[in-house]
Amino acid sequence: MHNSNRLGDAPLLANRQFAATSAPLIAVEGLAKEYRVYDKPEGLLASVSGLFRRTSRLVPALRGVNLTVGRGEFVALLGPNGAGKTTFLKLLSGIITPTRGTASVLGHVPWERADDFRRRFALVMGQRNQLWWDLPAAESFRLHKEIYRIETTRFERTRDELVDMLDVRKLLLQPVRELSLGERMKLELVAALLHEPEVLFLDEPTIGLDVVAQHTLHRFLSHVQTERQMTVVLTTHYMKDVAALCQRVVVITHGDILYDGSLDQIVDRFTTHKIVTLDLDHEPSQERMERFGFPCEIRGPQAILRIDRSRIADVLPEILRSETVRDISVEDVPLEEIVASLFRSEAEIHTRESE
Amino acid sequence: MNRYATIFATFARACLVRDMTFRTNFILECVTSLGWMSMNLAFYLLVFTFTAEIGQGTGWTREPFFAFVATGLIINSIVQALFMPSAEELTEMVRTGGLDGVLVQPLDAQFLLSMHRIDFSAFANGLVGIGLLAWALKSIDRAPHFVVWLLYPLLILCGVAILYSLVIMLAAATIWMGRNQSLYDFWFYLTNFSRYPAEIYAGPWGSPLRALCTFVIPILLVVNVPARVIAQPLEGQGWGMIFAAVFAAVASLLISRIVFQLAISRYRSASS
Repeated sequence: MHNSNRLGDAPLLANRQFAATSAPLIAVEGLAKEYRVYDKPEGLLASVSGLFRRTSRLVPALRGVNLTVGRGEFVALLGPNGAGKTTFLKLLSGIITPTRGTASVLGHVPWERADDFRRRFALVMGQRNQLWWDLPAAESFRLHKEIYRIETTRFERTRDELVDMLDVRKLLLQPVRELSLGERMKLELVAALLHEPEVLFLDEPTIGLDVVAQHTLHRFLSHVQTERQMTVVLTTHYMKDVAALCQRVVVITHGDILYDGSLDQIVDRFTTHKIVTLDLDHEPSQERMERFGFPCEIRGPQAILRIDRSRIADVLPEILRSETVRDISVEDVPLEEIVASLFRSEAEIHTRESE
Repeated sequence: MNRYATIFATFARACLVRDMTFRTNFILECVTSLGWMSMNLAFYLLVFTFTAEIGQGTGWTREPFFAFVATGLIINSIVQALFMPSAEELTEMVRTGGLDGVLVQPLDAQFLLSMHRIDFSAFANGLVGIGLLAWALKSIDRAPHFVVWLLYPLLILCGVAILYSLVIMLAAATIWMGRNQSLYDFWFYLTNFSRYPAEIYAGPWGSPLRALCTFVIPILLVVNVPARVIAQPLEGQGWGMIFAAVFAAVASLLISRIVFQLAISRYRSASS
């Protein structure tokens, strides 16, 4: 077991006080997790011999991550499937123990699973169900009240507030199995927030939800987070979640942090061009449009050019002079595309390394 | 402690509500287990048409033997009702990753995992057991000493504790193995030994088996000790058995706690 509360080791009282006021709520250093996986050979004979001798190897899920998160931050973890996002959240919530490294969440080592720590955070997993399946959510809430020792008046106040915000009062007495995914997710969130956690971990909370439900959750989360100054770490595959909620984005691929910064900076840092869409009065030829020197895609009377950001001021007037343009739009590369290319390029580097 | 009692009551209430929602299923479960039990009882009655006593000089004549069977029914029904459904679900939770949700809650994981699901239909057999015990004691026509009335419930609890420890250790093994579908089978084989008087395990094969099931896996103490106390006169060596049962109960609880803690510290969690 690691004793990683480094802040507590400060030798001077003055230092300690400084540390207490400016301490990050989540501090992670060199956090690594390896899983031992057993190879399951194909074929009957090989399977049988596998009963007696199995070959195993260590698969790194997280390779020494460093990260600090301050109070009230809303951080998104982005990354392709298998990048280590969920493993990271599981380590931070103390579900699993790391292979190496230290972490401190709310001043506790998460995997020591102290009650005082567990009372102060919540974990919501979009793919898992925490509510009693066959019973109305109100019953699960009641149990939650007991487990988290929430005082009755406080419990009722918080519950009513959350329930009204998400407009789910009429669902409280219906068995959870009869609810839609969106409705269930709202109730999962209410349950997770009943004990007013200081830190909230959300693992793909909007997975499988329709646009309306996603939007409702965004509004709700953003409201609650600001109101309570809650620290939230969210993993997702939807850029809409990130754009609506997070000031800070952490991109993880292959168990490493690839980028840590604001969403806008991702665009600045990882793209070289803008997308210019031209609506013309007739279908242009490919050659004609490519004479400006940039890749172009023709879609009917529409031409989509990818123009270097540094050149855009020169090229646009030229286009407008020589073409009959009905409408024009200049946009950044969509985030999805940037992130996807980030994932891809990292994967390529990775395969090259291992070859 | 009070909080744990309230939480347990909440679990019990929720399970009762659910059982009542699926009423037909509940009634069917009661009926099947009562049916299975009656067939067993009929079989024992049949055995006693051929012999007056199981093992000469053991004291297990018809009525005391039925007191033995009744004791077994009571203990098993408590374990089946309180712990078995949760233990079975634990194996499922390990496979699906549902255990994650339990480990983040500020509550003793072993408590939550061993009693969050209660099967009220299993109490049906216990009620029949109590009736059977009353009938057997009345037929024996020897009022048990008042000390016996204090000892019997205590020893029932010891029996439950030993069985519970075994169940929870078997369930904890699933955390290591990732999957353990043979839990119920293994449980059935083990408890099978506890269903008969210890005296039948005699001879070159029986004696080592008896020693194994008394001292290593104390499964023979579960029903035998309380049953002997209530159905037969309490003699000198009876006290030794009583101490052995209490000791075995405490020791198994401690060992199961250690095994369980070790298992959850090794938990790998399933993929999301």
